[in-house]
Amino acid sequence: MTLAPTRGSKRRAIATPAVARRPLGFFLALPPIILILLFVGFPIVLAFAFSIGLTGGLNHVIASIGLNVHEAENWWGTPAAYIEVLSNSRILRDLSVTVGVTALSTVIVIFLALGIGLFLKLRDGRMARLLSGLAIIPLFIPVVIASWAIVTFYSGDGFVRSVFAQFGVEAPVWAFTMVAVVIGSVWTSLPFAVLMITSGLQAIPNAMIEAARDAGAGFLRIVVSILIPMAFVPILIAVTFTAIGVVGSFTVPYFTGPNAPNMLGVSMSNYFSAFNQPQQSVVMAFIVFVIASGIAAAYVWANFRSAKDQGKV
Amino acid sequence: MTMITKRARKSAARLSFSGPLSGLFFVLMVVFILGPLAWLGIRAFAESWTFPNLGPDGWTLRWWSVVLGDETLGRAVQNSLALAALTVLVSACICLPAAYAFARYEFWGRRTFLIGLFALNAFPKMGLYVTIASLFYALNLMGTVMGVLIVHVLGTVVFMTWIPAAAFAAVPRSLEEAARDAGATKLRVFISVTFPLALPGILVAAVMSFLASFDEAQGTYLIGAPDIMTMPTQMYTLVLNYPNQVAAVFSILLAIPSVALLLAAHKHIVGGTLAEGFQIK
Repeated sequence: MTLAPTRGSKRRAIATPAVARRPLGFFLALPPIILILLFVGFPIVLAFAFSIGLTGGLNHVIASIGLNVHEAENWWGTPAAYIEVLSNSRILRDLSVTVGVTALSTVIVIFLALGIGLFLKLRDGRMARLLSGLAIIPLFIPVVIASWAIVTFYSGDGFVRSVFAQFGVEAPVWAFTMVAVVIGSVWTSLPFAVLMITSGLQAIPNAMIEAARDAGAGFLRIVVSILIPMAFVPILIAVTFTAIGVVGSFTVPYFTGPNAPNMLGVSMSNYFSAFNQPQQSVVMAFIVFVIASGIAAAYVWANFRSAKDQGKV
Repeated sequence: MTMITKRARKSAARLSFSGPLSGLFFVLMVVFILGPLAWLGIRAFAESWTFPNLGPDGWTLRWWSVVLGDETLGRAVQNSLALAALTVLVSACICLPAAYAFARYEFWGRRTFLIGLFALNAFPKMGLYVTIASLFYALNLMGTVMGVLIVHVLGTVVFMTWIPAAAFAAVPRSLEEAARDAGATKLRVFISVTFPLALPGILVAAVMSFLASFDEAQGTYLIGAPDIMTMPTQMYTLVLNYPNQVAAVFSILLAIPSVALLLAAHKHIVGGTLAEGFQIK
């Protein structure tokens, strides 16, 4: 049985490719790969060398501009910069804040997106369609604006406090706290998760739900035993993209968060520009990269699994 | 008897999603998503604002003339539009042939390439820009249009490859073969059959790329500031140095292209073209 739903015809079209024109496909696919190798892969390798204190070659310029650079005495580098960053209690606090915000935002986003998706699937109607349309809107609002709008909405003289003040209630100020960062992250991540999850849920045949209902399954049973497992791959894709997006985010925490502790994206930028300590900044980038790679592995595994279920691997 | 229980269960399943609870959820979502935008938007026309009033003290269009008359802000608008258009163009030239290849050919390293494109997404954006910046220092690309353009194109590669690839893959082989049988050349088949059918996917990719470029702030700020300022990077300085209302006006200006594109491509994006592109096959 295939776990990943539908569109079999499309997949089959890729499953039987024209093997004869092998080299042409390879060369057509090359330009974006070269671009990425050149401007992502290569800088990452270079930056890794810099982070372990190899300051020769192309790293020479940045090493001479930057302050507090740990230089390696030998060819295999030194972990000094990593040790410095990982023993800095402020950065460690930033790290735990980053992980916490990422986990919390992802859970809320997936919960909301699942709610909207199930609403649309099981009930449909005008309200459900309006709701799913509404959830897409943040996709089209630049993150800078969204962050600024959220700060003004939840600030000391913002909407939330104004409304509560009408009833004489003193509401908390959420702007420039981690609460606002979570709100901002959820706000900006919601559209993608909703698109992924609704399209996954919509692809499940209604007959299946009807059959389960006839067999006596209740609402919760249908959701847990049929809808979520059948839409597992899209849900996992939504989870990974949301988590990766939040863990490396900069604009939202920069605008809506406190000065310290804040997420690593902000500290990274501070260390690079304001403190002029590029090596420490790069070390933080690699710490976030390790976290993101762990999340990304789940995504690759899920896609591999769905391909396997369809008998393609 | 069975009919009755069936119906009862069905309505029970529906009930969990109706009634005052879902109404409340709906209202909360409206406030959560639209509230901040409306609250900021009103400010663009507000004289001043006294807490805890729910409306401004008076209305004015003064802030619009402040923004529209400011030369640096005007240049930022121009920069943003030009960069976004250029980014889409460059990105399309680089990525669309690859998208076609991913959809139609099996070749050595295909799967590795697809996952490699994804790795681009996994590296934190700010970390990536920091590493790119250290390379750009060495290559003298800091503060240049070329440097900023590279950063913008990088941000669109995933959209421009994955979404059109899914769109090309969705074009039925049988249609192409039928055209071939009728005597059309390969090029002709591509122009008359494959491309038009994949066009919605390509358009969604173009829209997403345009928005990604228009929205890009972190990399542009790090690489381009202070020489090359776009609208989003200008926002960073705006919110610190100008009254709130100016930032509000600027926000509305910044949102206009996005909303226009939303209306144009809404059907395809909600219709699953975007979601379809994000599953590696």
